[in-house]
Amino acid sequence: MPDAHADQDWRAWFAEHGARLRLIARQWTRSEADADDVVQEAFVRFWKHQRHLPGDPNALVVTSIRRAALDLLRRTDRRGVREQAVAADTETVAWFEPEADPRLQALARSLPLLPPEQREVVVLKVWGGLTFDQVGGQLEISPNTAASRWRYAMEALRKLITARAHD
Amino acid sequence: MTDPDHDLELALARLRPRAPAPAVSAALARELDAPSARRGVILAWAAGLTAAAAALVCGLFLGAAPVDETPAYQLVRAEQSPANIEVLRPIRLDDGSFARPVRVRWDNTTQWEDPRTRTRFINYRPNEATALLPLETY
Repeated sequence: MPDAHADQDWRAWFAEHGARLRLIARQWTRSEADADDVVQEAFVRFWKHQRHLPGDPNALVVTSIRRAALDLLRRTDRRGVREQAVAADTETVAWFEPEADPRLQALARSLPLLPPEQREVVVLKVWGGLTFDQVGGQLEISPNTAASRWRYAMEALRKLITARAHD
Repeated sequence: MTDPDHDLELALARLRPRAPAPAVSAALARELDAPSARRGVILAWAAGLTAAAAALVCGLFLGAAPVDETPAYQLVRAEQSPANIEVLRPIRLDDGSFARPVRVRWDNTTQWEDPRTRTRFINYRPNEATALLPLETY
């Protein structure tokens, strides 16, 4: 990741990392629009107040995203029941750009099918660039639990891909 | 011997997540590109208020009529962004009928200017509305 501590243009940084930040936000939001809102709020907070802080900027921005997503969930929990049901039922957009490789296509379709607690570990490790220690810190679980969820997720993904290959 | 988990991780890393909506970059630009201009507006406001207070004090002490320095803003520009319409998957309502949720987002921006001080005030207001379009089934 480029050095966010330096006086870099936010546009260049966001152009390079915005997509993976959105995928991370999507793990804790109910819709694509909510993920966009969370990325916007978290990135502004990170860029204005946190990027000069010591430490791994990667972990800082992920923390900012998780906090914004949990805040949004708390706010939307107070909305009407019908609106929640609509938001939960309106997922129509793929998380990834289209791929020509059939194996990658199968992976892209399989990832959202993982249990949420396994999926968030995979996303934080692969697209968040976090270690198991950092993943554990984000999710308030031990590094061993994070590693264990990762292994279960890999096993589940292999099964899902194999099942799709036989379809 | 290759580690199958590692191979899978490499394959996952090749997937390209979708970028945020263009509206996110536009909103970030509003938040991150013009802090000094916004500060300038606040300073101009503060300067205007200070000048008004000084004029009032002078008027009281010197017996002269106070000069009216209250900002007199006039509308100079009004814009409405194109609507961003999301047509979502149909849902079934409690009464058994079907409806399609539609979410519309747009921004209203008005700019006001005090011609005496050339101070400009921008009022940006994002809007969102969600509606259910009834669907007829045969």
